[in-house]
Amino acid sequence: MSEQEVMEKVVEILKPYAKNAAALASVSLETNILSDLKVNSARLVDVVLAFEDSFGIEVEDEDADGVQTVGDAVRLIQSKLA
Amino acid sequence: MNQREQALARQRLIGRMLSPVCIPLATLLMRFLFRWRLRDTSEHRALYRRLLSEDSRPLLIAANHLTMADSALIAWGLGGTIDHMVRYHGLPWNVPEQARVESSRLWRVLAYLMKCVPVPRGGDRKVVADVLKGLRHLMEEGEVVLMFPEGGRSRSGRVDTESVAYGVGRLIKELGDCRVLCVYVRGDQQKSWSNMPTSGDTFSFTTRVIEPQTNLRGMRGSREVASQVLAQLVEMEEAHLARQEA
Repeated sequence: MSEQEVMEKVVEILKPYAKNAAALASVSLETNILSDLKVNSARLVDVVLAFEDSFGIEVEDEDADGVQTVGDAVRLIQSKLA
Repeated sequence: MNQREQALARQRLIGRMLSPVCIPLATLLMRFLFRWRLRDTSEHRALYRRLLSEDSRPLLIAANHLTMADSALIAWGLGGTIDHMVRYHGLPWNVPEQARVESSRLWRVLAYLMKCVPVPRGGDRKVVADVLKGLRHLMEEGEVVLMFPEGGRSRSGRVDTESVAYGVGRLIKELGDCRVLCVYVRGDQQKSWSNMPTSGDTFSFTTRVIEPQTNLRGMRGSREVASQVLAQLVEMEEAHLARQEA
């Protein structure tokens, strides 16, 4: 799966959780999930679980600790898919 | 021992040295300034003493959260002044919101002396993970940690099952053989959440020990464990409210 395809799917998953629609509209790999998209930190678990379900991967707690930006999420998913 | 573990050991040492002043002072404030009263604590204190002495497995206290005084009330409810001074490891560590602790110098000093490890709410996950590592180290060293699985004070006034703080589950899961002392505490006049309980209020306690288990891995497992703890608190709340109505 290409980076672009993973990115599109990640953004789709983030949509219901992102409170900042404007930031979501101009999302990039550098967009911070918590501070830019205003995803509630408690909901970040749901986001990661949605990644697991959607991509058929398993994310360990330590892996998730490193996810701050959309790019981090994309890279993590790609590494799990590889 | 890494830098954080050294800092926690230093904090514990300083807190312990000043505990003959801090612990009685905190109790006096609750008892005489706020005129709070605790109902039937002997059974809960006996249970807590037993948990502290019966084996060396890690012990986490998980409680409902309605006011900013909850952690102090729980510490008081589970042990008297002498208990906590003699068994200092039984005075639980707390995880208050960093912004609250840093709002004044007084808060910062009190938090330091009363075994608090501030955590940034909604902050960098790596920082939160580092705090959890510190707590895990403390528990492996025989210290007790108090956490609120709802993550914050319940805005509904009831245990909020929609707001699961997954860190509680992660800590329990990573420790593997952790015992969880669930504590439900509520003042008679506490209708919803607030900063402080009403002056003169009387508090009831319910305690129950569980050992959450999960076969799930990763964050799913952590959330499952946190949900088990929260489900227990919901049951305890229902029992408490039923007793109040009876």
